[in-house]
Amino acid sequence: MLNYTKYRLKSAEELLPFLDSTDNIFVLACNKCFKEFESVDEPDCGEFVKLLEEQGKNVTGSARVDFLCNKAQTLKGLEIPEGTDSVFVVSCGLGVQTIADSVSIPVFAAADSLNFRGHHGMALTNKACDACAQCYLNITGGICPVVDCAKSLLNGQCGGAKDGKCEVDPTRDCAWEKIEQRLAKQGRLREFLDQPVQVRDYSRVNYKAISEFVKAARESRLDGYYGGVHPSERKELSENAALVRFPEPDTVVIPLSMHSGAPAKPLVNAGDEVKVGQKIGEAAAFISGNVHSSVSGTVIAVEPRPHPTRGGGVLSVVIKNDKKNELADTVRPYGDIETLTPEQIVDIVRESGIVGMGGAGFPTSVKLAPNKPIDAVILNGCECEPMLTADHRVLLEYADDVIYGLQAMMKAVSAPRGIIAIEDNKPDAIELLQARTEDIDGIEVAGVRTKYPQGAEKMLIKRILGRQVPSGGLPADVGAVVCNVSTSKAIADAIRTGMPLVERVVTVTGEKIKNPGNFIVKIGTPVRELIDYCGGITGDDVTLKTGGPMMGIELTDTDVPVIKATNGIIAVDKDHFETVACIKCGRCVDVCPMELKPLYFAKYHDEGNWKGMLDLNVRDCIECRSCEYICSSKIPLVAKIRAGKSAIMEMNKK
Amino acid sequence: MLVTRLKEKDTVAALITGKAFIVNCHGCKEAGFPEKEASEFQKELSSEGKVTGILTTEYICNPENLRLHLNLHSKEIDEADCVLVFSCGVGVQTVSDHLEDKRVYAACDTYAVPGGQGVTPLEHDCRQCGQCYLNLTGGICPITACSKSLINGQCGGAKDGKCEVDPNMECGWERIQRRLAMVGRLDVLKSPVRIRDYGNEVKASE
Repeated sequence: MLNYTKYRLKSAEELLPFLDSTDNIFVLACNKCFKEFESVDEPDCGEFVKLLEEQGKNVTGSARVDFLCNKAQTLKGLEIPEGTDSVFVVSCGLGVQTIADSVSIPVFAAADSLNFRGHHGMALTNKACDACAQCYLNITGGICPVVDCAKSLLNGQCGGAKDGKCEVDPTRDCAWEKIEQRLAKQGRLREFLDQPVQVRDYSRVNYKAISEFVKAARESRLDGYYGGVHPSERKELSENAALVRFPEPDTVVIPLSMHSGAPAKPLVNAGDEVKVGQKIGEAAAFISGNVHSSVSGTVIAVEPRPHPTRGGGVLSVVIKNDKKNELADTVRPYGDIETLTPEQIVDIVRESGIVGMGGAGFPTSVKLAPNKPIDAVILNGCECEPMLTADHRVLLEYADDVIYGLQAMMKAVSAPRGIIAIEDNKPDAIELLQARTEDIDGIEVAGVRTKYPQGAEKMLIKRILGRQVPSGGLPADVGAVVCNVSTSKAIADAIRTGMPLVERVVTVTGEKIKNPGNFIVKIGTPVRELIDYCGGITGDDVTLKTGGPMMGIELTDTDVPVIKATNGIIAVDKDHFETVACIKCGRCVDVCPMELKPLYFAKYHDEGNWKGMLDLNVRDCIECRSCEYICSSKIPLVAKIRAGKSAIMEMNKK
Repeated sequence: MLVTRLKEKDTVAALITGKAFIVNCHGCKEAGFPEKEASEFQKELSSEGKVTGILTTEYICNPENLRLHLNLHSKEIDEADCVLVFSCGVGVQTVSDHLEDKRVYAACDTYAVPGGQGVTPLEHDCRQCGQCYLNLTGGICPITACSKSLINGQCGGAKDGKCEVDPNMECGWERIQRRLAMVGRLDVLKSPVRIRDYGNEVKASE
């Protein structure tokens, strides 16, 4: 693997004069980047500290940092001891400048940056680009005359080459000879000779444009919260498709585990008659959830069935639908927010089996009974997952129900403030909700700039309230409750009609789905029926997922049901990538919204170093997959992180 | 780190004789890629019947993964008279290396932005001169912060602290002077004259 090692220690001779005026020195070294990733220490820091000690200097401390130029991360952990009078930085020029900008004592460079001709890409190859802003590759057969010719000649060879080798550096091939051969091979020599003379326009690279670009890019990287990514949204496939009630399924399979925590206990047996909204599974613990029938008909079986997110064998109630839609007598309005007490609201939410419908399935009643004071309920209408449009449609078509549910939650936790957060890629929803909440005290709509994973509750709290949920903590620790908009609508339905959570909105989309759309689907409907209804899957080489392209889980079997947390079914082109070795490019650290270092998780996973993962706070990872998305080596980081988390759980049990 | 901008549409359209196969690289999209403009332009080309296929992937600078993807589209590539690559210069060169017999064209121009190692883009820039001057300048780089890359002090042309070459830019040497005054190291300005030795840049071994 080519090693773009960034710096080399300056000679002692050059460094000594700078030591004259300082005695108490702190040494900060960068672990280098764009190289094979080894967790052994770079030798340069130690060598420099040794030099200082030989000179009788007091080293007040030293630190080795990854990606020293990542200012946000570097400064977070940096402590320069009292009494230090200068900092020597062992890094490339970027690191030295970053530190010099950030501390008020003199900062010195202990190393020289190594020179490469041109800029490299995200793979460690010999190809380089000088970023001249006027690409000549179209006339040179794809061989770059700026980088590959020692003289950067644009109009042909200098004539100095000998035996195909450059006269400046006889180890190099003459670039123009290579260009000539390539063009001859493609029959394009005449075309080249007919080209006008090329002149390099150095003014194409403009300071103002670049500095404005950098400023905007830095702002977007730190906008609201650190990191995050902007995957292609591809929401246009389904965002304008109005909700359609999905046809009655013949049979539903309702898993007793559609929530985090303990599975519900079945209340029915094969042969029983059930009605719509009838409770068929009872919450088995504090963190658990009731389960209700979405159809009227006959229970055929209570047995393990394949589950969309947990694989095979989850105890489920299978019901033959009589399509009469007879309501259970328990389904009747509970009253109004005005007359209900906070405790009654929480009871209704619990009784109705309402769990987080954004994907995680955490029981909402537990969220609404925190043991800490809450001052704000944030309604999560970000829908930051690419492709999904279910929440968007709910906002547009059930705005008043969503607001009603929010008011109920605010009453339940005695929060004076309710905030509906919507990403700015849904301007119609922002406008509508603003209009509908104009006259409601305490409720506001926050349009937030689109950035994934905005909808992760910790990110949203930071963005909206500017509060940091502590490591291992919950939103309630900072006085907030975050709830998905579809969940809010479910709460409104439960209070106003008494109907528990038996149906939800599902987006069926992707470039491989013939007719994408958004549907109101009964829980337990087979995914296969949804796909067939949308015209089926076109072509082969398809990846099928429940959820969005980022956090969704791959489906290998379409005979699994829609569950409470199924916000989408997507069929997309299959990814074809080969995992290659980590090149320590640092992009995963740059995008991790939890400010972790995902590259180490992959490394430690492969070494079985669970303690190392624990020490780097792997348990804070929200598995948003931003690191895996940006990884230039296509390392399956999230799978390795999950394995690490379970190994740590096992380790802690012992 | 490199960012890309679409070339003039007419310039690119003129390159296409017959039909084109299109390659998009989204690898460095977070740093900068004209995703919307590229997709609109490609839609136009497709509607004119000039496109045999489109491959949108990431990090085409990685030759192994590029090969994997191109092989999946070999039929569409065979049908095309040229391959149009929407990526930085590294990507275009990697594609042309793999498809030596094919006309491979760049649809974008590439610009460098500061930073590019570990975090990108960054406020600071390093041109890897191999003879770091930061010790004499309070940690502000005279090569990148001064438009003329002067290493022995200001040119005298700055007006109100702004560079005479580009009035949007602060005078790098004024910043250096302020920084040195702040850390009490104005004395280093009295060090001997420095000469940039272009012949002696520390070359990285390959």
